[in-house]
Amino acid sequence: MNTLHTVRLTVNGTAAEVMVEARKTLADALREDLGLTGTHLGCEHGVCGACTVLFDGNPVRSCLLFAVQAAGHEVGTIEGLARGDELHPVQRAFSEFHGLQCGFCTPGMILATVDLLEHTPQPSEDEIKEALGGNICRCTGYQKIIESVQGAAAAMASGLAK
Amino acid sequence: MSANEGWIGRRVQRREDLPLIQGKGRFAADLTMPDMVHMAVLRSPHAHARLLGVDTSKARELPGVFDVLTSADLDGIGEFPVLWQLPGQKASGIPVLARDKVRYVGEPVAAVVAVSRYVAEDALELIEADYDPLPTVVDVESALKAGAPVINEAWGDNVAIRHIVPGIDATGKAGDIDGAFAAADAVVKARFKINRFSGVPLETRGLVASHDPLTHGLTLWSSSQVAHKQRTQLASVLGVPESSIRVMTPNLGGGFGVKWDCYPEDALVCLFSQRLQRPVKWIEDRREHLMGTVHAREQVQELEAAVARDGTILGIRGKIWADLGAHIHSVGIGPAWVTGVSLTGQYRIKNYYCEVIGVATNKVPSSTFRGFGGPEATFATERLIEKAARAVGLDPAEVRRKNFIQPDEFPWFSAGGGVFDSGNYPAALEKALEEVDYDHLREEQAGLRAKGVYRGIGIGCYIHTSGFGPSFILGLVGYNTSGYEGSSIKVDPQGGITIYTGMIPLGQGTETTLAQVAADQFGVDFNDVRVVWGDTSQTPYTGFGSAGSRSNVAAAAILKAAEVVRDKSIRIGAHLLEAAPEDVVYENGGVQVKGSPEKRLTLGDVAKAAYLAHNLPKGELPTLEGTYVYDPAMFTIAFGCHVAVVDVDLETGEVKIVRYVVVDDSGTIINPLLVEGQIQGGVAMGLGGALLEEFVYDENGQLLTTSFMDYLLPSIHEVPHMELHQQVTVSPHTPGGFKGMGEAGMFSPGAALANAVSDALLPFGVEVDRMPITSNLVWSLLPKS
Ligand code: FES
Ligand code: FES
Repeated sequence: MNTLHTVRLTVNGTAAEVMVEARKTLADALREDLGLTGTHLGCEHGVCGACTVLFDGNPVRSCLLFAVQAAGHEVGTIEGLARGDELHPVQRAFSEFHGLQCGFCTPGMILATVDLLEHTPQPSEDEIKEALGGNICRCTGYQKIIESVQGAAAAMASGLAK
Repeated sequence: MSANEGWIGRRVQRREDLPLIQGKGRFAADLTMPDMVHMAVLRSPHAHARLLGVDTSKARELPGVFDVLTSADLDGIGEFPVLWQLPGQKASGIPVLARDKVRYVGEPVAAVVAVSRYVAEDALELIEADYDPLPTVVDVESALKAGAPVINEAWGDNVAIRHIVPGIDATGKAGDIDGAFAAADAVVKARFKINRFSGVPLETRGLVASHDPLTHGLTLWSSSQVAHKQRTQLASVLGVPESSIRVMTPNLGGGFGVKWDCYPEDALVCLFSQRLQRPVKWIEDRREHLMGTVHAREQVQELEAAVARDGTILGIRGKIWADLGAHIHSVGIGPAWVTGVSLTGQYRIKNYYCEVIGVATNKVPSSTFRGFGGPEATFATERLIEKAARAVGLDPAEVRRKNFIQPDEFPWFSAGGGVFDSGNYPAALEKALEEVDYDHLREEQAGLRAKGVYRGIGIGCYIHTSGFGPSFILGLVGYNTSGYEGSSIKVDPQGGITIYTGMIPLGQGTETTLAQVAADQFGVDFNDVRVVWGDTSQTPYTGFGSAGSRSNVAAAAILKAAEVVRDKSIRIGAHLLEAAPEDVVYENGGVQVKGSPEKRLTLGDVAKAAYLAHNLPKGELPTLEGTYVYDPAMFTIAFGCHVAVVDVDLETGEVKIVRYVVVDDSGTIINPLLVEGQIQGGVAMGLGGALLEEFVYDENGQLLTTSFMDYLLPSIHEVPHMELHQQVTVSPHTPGGFKGMGEAGMFSPGAALANAVSDALLPFGVEVDRMPITSNLVWSLLPKS
C-alpha cells in the first residue's frame, strides 16, 4: 500500500513529477504534492464538481481519479487559466456579474464554463444548465452564474470580432 | 456628488474576487505548516449505546501514528457549554469525546494524529471500541412515549424544556386567547412538519492548531464564523487563559450558521498540538460533515387559528415540538424559541399562546442555521393564513391585506413579545402581486384546470428579525452571548484608512461592503480603505460573531467609529487652520473652514500632524484612530413577499416552478449587486429545503443521507429564475437605516411552494403541510383513483 510511484504528467503546460501512493487521488496530488490548492474538494465522491480540472482538455472530477492515472496526460487547473496578469474572460465575467460568493465552487465552475464555451461559444440557457448541471454552488442560487457565463460568451465573441 | 462620495448604495464589484477566481484563495484545507500532522476522528456507528471501552493499542503501533486520544485521556478537560440556556432548561454540555455512552451516529469517540490523513484513517480502523447497544428514539413522538429510552439519564425523560409564550400586548398584559376562539366564526387546525436540513456549505469545517513553544500559546486557524466566541469557549474547555489563544480565520467556503457553533474537533486539534508540540490539521470530510456538523429546523407543530367571517385572524395557539437531537448544542433550543414567539408574523394578531417543547432524540444535535427558527414560523403562519382564507371563502391575498400591521402602526409590539421597528407589509405584497399579475393568474387558473393543467399560486410573506440584537434582551432570554459589534478605524500617518472588524466574511462580500461604508464616511476612494478581519489578536471583540444578517450591525459600528475619527480630525484641523472647531467641517476627504474652501486640509495633512504631535490642540492625544462598540438599540425587522407559480403533474407528483417573484425590503442597501446575490442564494437554499433536502434516519437511528447522492442540494436545474424586486423602508434605530438581509431569502420558499401546490390541488382537497415537498410526497397526497 505504501509503495511510492513516480508519475510524470503535464500540469498547466509544464512538465511535473510526483511520487505518490497508488491510492492518492489526482486532487490530493495536485493540492499536496504540487501546491495547486485552487482545486477544491467539496465532497470527494464525485457529485459537487468543485474539484473539476481539465484532463487532456476535458473536464473531469479529480477526486475520482488516482494520480497514477494521470501519468503521461495533460492536466489544466484554475491556476493555469490566466496568462500572467491577464485574466481569462471567464474569470473576469464571474467577478463582473457576481458569479461567486465564497468562491469555493468557483474554480470548478470556471473550468466547466471554459470547456463549454470552447465547444459552444454562444450557449443557450439550457445548454449552460446542461454544462454546469454537475457543479454545485451553495451560495449564489446560480442566477448570477448563468449571467456570468453569458457575459463571458459575449466578451469572447466581441474579442474575436476585434 | 464627487467620485469619492456616495459609496453607500453603489454597485461596486467585489475586492474579494481576484484571488478566488484564480484559485489563490486560502481556505483552511489549503494551509500547511512545517512539521504539520493530521487528525482523524473515530465516530460512533451506533445511535445509542453504552461505551464499554476503547482499545487504542493497535492504532498506536501503526507506523506513522503519533498520538491517540479517548475520553480516558481527557481528565481536566471541560465540556462545550450550552450558550442558549432558556430559563428552566435542563443542564447539558457537549463532551469533547463520548464518555460512557454514545447518543447519535457520528458522535466522536476517539481521535488519532498521524503523518498523513490517509494513515490517520488507517489507524481508525485499528481502534476497537466496545459498545452495548441501547434502544433508540428517532422522532419526537417516540421520544415522548411513556417508557421511552432516556437519552440523557440525568434529565429523567427526553424533555429538555417546556416553555410557554403567553400572548401579551405592549404593556405586558395577556391577551384573551380563549375568548378569541370562543368568538371565532371558523377555527382552522393543522399539524405541520418541518424537515431536518441544514446549511451544508460547500466547504466543510477545517482547522489547523499550532502550539507555540515560546509563548506557550495556541494559534488556531479555523473555518469559524465566530473567532472570538470560539476563543472564549476553547479557553473554558481547555482550562487555559483566553489571552493565550489566538484564533484566525482564512477564507471560508460558506457558513450559513453551522460554522457558528463550536465543536469537539476544535478542542481536539488544540489538545494534540499541545501534547505533540507541533501543528495539527483536521479537515472534515463530507460524510463527517453530514453526520457530525449540526443539523437544524426539525419541528412538529400543532396549531390552530381563530378566524372571523371577514377574514380577521382573532388568535393563534398551539404547540411546537423541536427535535433537538442527542445534545443541546450551543443554541439548541433557541431557534424553536424564535419560532414560538414569531407565529403572529406581520399580522395584527393580538391573542396568542404557544408552548415550545424541546425534545432529545438519537440524532445529530440541532442548532444554528440561516433563518434561525424564522422560516419554521413563516411556513406555519403563511399556511394558517391560507387555510383561514379557505375556511371563510376569501382570497388568501385578501386575508393578508385584512390582517397586516399597517405602515403607520410602528413601533409594533407583537403578541410574542417582539418590537417591530418599521415596515410596509402591504406594499411588499401588492408589488409582488402586481409583478406576477395575480388577478390574471386567478382568472386563467380555472381554464387551465379544464385543460388538465394544475397551476397553483402560492404567496409567502415574511418578516425577518435581523441584527440579533440588543445585548440586554439576549440576557433576558438566557442567551449567553451579546449583540454588539466593535469596529476600530486607524488613519495612518499618510492618511491611509484601515478598518478592523470582528466580522468574519463567509462569502457575502463583507470586506467590500464594510470598505464602502468607510469610504463613504471619509469621502475617499473605496480602494484606499483596507479591511482587517479574521484575527482575534487584531480585531475588536464581537459579541455575536458573523451571521448573514449582521453586516448591518457592523456597518453601524463603522459609521460611529468614523464619526469619532472625523470629530478628532475636525478638532486638530481647526487648530491648524486657526479656526474654531464649530466653524470647521469634514467634507470630501478633508476638513475645511465653513464657507472658505481655500482654508482646507486633507485627511492626510491632518493625520501627519496627528502623528507628529508637534502642534496639537491642548489636551488632544496624538495619533488618529477611533473605536466604537455598537450594541443595537432594537431588533430590525426586514420583510418581503414571495409568490410562486407552479404546475403540478398529477401522474408523477412533480412540481414545476413556472414563475418565482421576490420582493425584499431590508432597509438601506449598501451594495445592490451583493444584496441581489444574497437574496438569490437565500431563496435557492430555501427552495432546497422546501423541495429536496432532508436528513433521513431509519428506525434504528442510522443516518441514511451520508453523501451528496442521498442528501440532495439544489443544482442549477432545480433553481428557477427569480424575479427580484427591492424596496427600501429604513430602520429608525440603526445608524444608516440598515437592516440585515443575508438570511431573508430563506424565509418564504417553503410557505410559498406549499401554498402553491395546495392551491394547484384545491380540487382534490390536498393540503401540503410538510417539507420537503418531493414528488413522492405530492403523489402520496393525491387521491388514488
Ligand atoms: S470533490 Fe470531486 S466532485 Fe466533489
Ligand atoms: S460561491 Fe460558495 S459555493 Fe459557489
